Amino acid sequence: MPFISRDWRNSGDKWEKDEFGNWERTKVIECESKSNEDHEQSSSSSPPSSSSSPPPHCQIVLRCTREIAGFNGLDVAVKRLDFKSSVRNQRRFQYICALLKLLVSGEVVMTSLSGNAQRILLQMIEEVAMHVSTSKQHINTLRGLVDQLRQLVEQESQKCWGKPLGSVNLWNTHLQTIERIQNIASQIEIEPDTSVPQLTELPEECIRKIILQMSDHKDLESAANAWSLMNYIIQEQRIWRELSKFHFTQQQIDSILEKMSLLDTPERHRNWQTIYHTLRKKYGLRDDFQYTEVLALCRFCHCLFWPMTGHPCIAETKEYQEKLEKAGTSYESIEKTQLVPPHQFLKYFSL
Amino acid sequence: MKTIKLQSSDGKIFDCDLAVAKCSGTIRTMLEDLEIDESSEDEIIPLPNVDGRILRKVIEYCNYHKDDPTPIATDNDDNKEKRTDDIISWDAEFLKVDQGTLFEIILAANYLDIANLLDVSCKTVANMLKNKTPDEIRKEFNIKNDFTPMEEEQVRRENTWCEEK
Repeated sequence: MPFISRDWRNSGDKWEKDEFGNWERTKVIECESKSNEDHEQSSSSSPPSSSSSPPPHCQIVLRCTREIAGFNGLDVAVKRLDFKSSVRNQRRFQYICALLKLLVSGEVVMTSLSGNAQRILLQMIEEVAMHVSTSKQHINTLRGLVDQLRQLVEQESQKCWGKPLGSVNLWNTHLQTIERIQNIASQIEIEPDTSVPQLTELPEECIRKIILQMSDHKDLESAANAWSLMNYIIQEQRIWRELSKFHFTQQQIDSILEKMSLLDTPERHRNWQTIYHTLRKKYGLRDDFQYTEVLALCRFCHCLFWPMTGHPCIAETKEYQEKLEKAGTSYESIEKTQLVPPHQFLKYFSL
Repeated sequence: MKTIKLQSSDGKIFDCDLAVAKCSGTIRTMLEDLEIDESSEDEIIPLPNVDGRILRKVIEYCNYHKDDPTPIATDNDDNKEKRTDDIISWDAEFLKVDQGTLFEIILAANYLDIANLLDVSCKTVANMLKNKTPDEIRKEFNIKNDFTPMEEEQVRRENTWCEEK
């Protein structure tokens, strides 16, 4: 029995050529150009007009079965959710990098994605590379991605039987993009800023303030190795006590203190660094602090969207809310959204 | 609304709303000490540690954030959020300046006791430190390697928590 999909009577999508000469669905192009207009508007700091287009969002099909999975296109979602310009958004950067990392690290094999999705993915990594090279931040994140890409190319070039699948031209374009990304990454050069005053001229209390903002012991390690004053401050108990209390609950800390037989002893004030590392090995670090903004899924209309900008939702209409109340649930009381961490996001697509 | 005059170290005078000036803990204390309030005549508050260029920026920041809820001052900093990527876009744009200006803003915020500004500017510097090797940090901030080779080895040994998992 042939599988007949939900919209089998549909005449299909309209296709157009986009600005790069690649075929793309008209609806995707339209939504992209709208979001670009929005960016121009917001950059000129004019107040958003009421007629402005809805914020980036993408409806997906849940309860993914093999047949229906084709409805959720990764390439479409990436375009509709405006990932490309989100790379430059500090709040979303880490989330997108985590996604890209999953996609190139072999858990999901990038080469099994559709050609279009592969192209978009590489474009995004290129965007990340350009962003890193201008901002000089997150250099290690980019290095990780470039490393993964290099491994990927190596793997692919070792396969001899009819691999990679798909268009040879497309694969060659990919190789060129990867080469460009590698070039950008290798050319990142940190240029010292010679304007005065310098960091070294700040008083100790300001340096301490800066160090207290850091949430990762690896960054602390690098900072300690870079400069004697930072090394001196990083030896302070306060740094490690705050770090411990940020990453772990009081119960976790108490249980470790008990194990180390330090509970309620004055000794514990002298050992926060060891306490932190013991905690870290036992419980692992909090990972929710990695991402400031995580994509959300609306339970009513199954739209993926960025919580900061929201999305137009059927549940916002009065009729819908009345219907809900008739069914015995009040709109206010139900949980409306669910957060979608990167690995969950990928599960919505047949990869 | 009542305005007061602030004088920078280079003698420039800035008119500033009283409410905006009160974002600064230092100015708040000064006003109380000098018993300046809504009814006082035009008084000039001298700020000898901040020059005009930076004072203008600080006033711009306070103007934008004057309606923010004041953070509850506690001695217990332990539970403070260590997130550095949640800088709102206005602040991020505001702090897109060269390093010298950024550090001067930190100094001014520290002197004027403007907690929010100090936090967000320190976060910006912390972001520049993150995810880098010691060498890159030194390059980025023009730090001279002031360890002797022996000290360097010792520091490296003391701080190798990462390799052991």
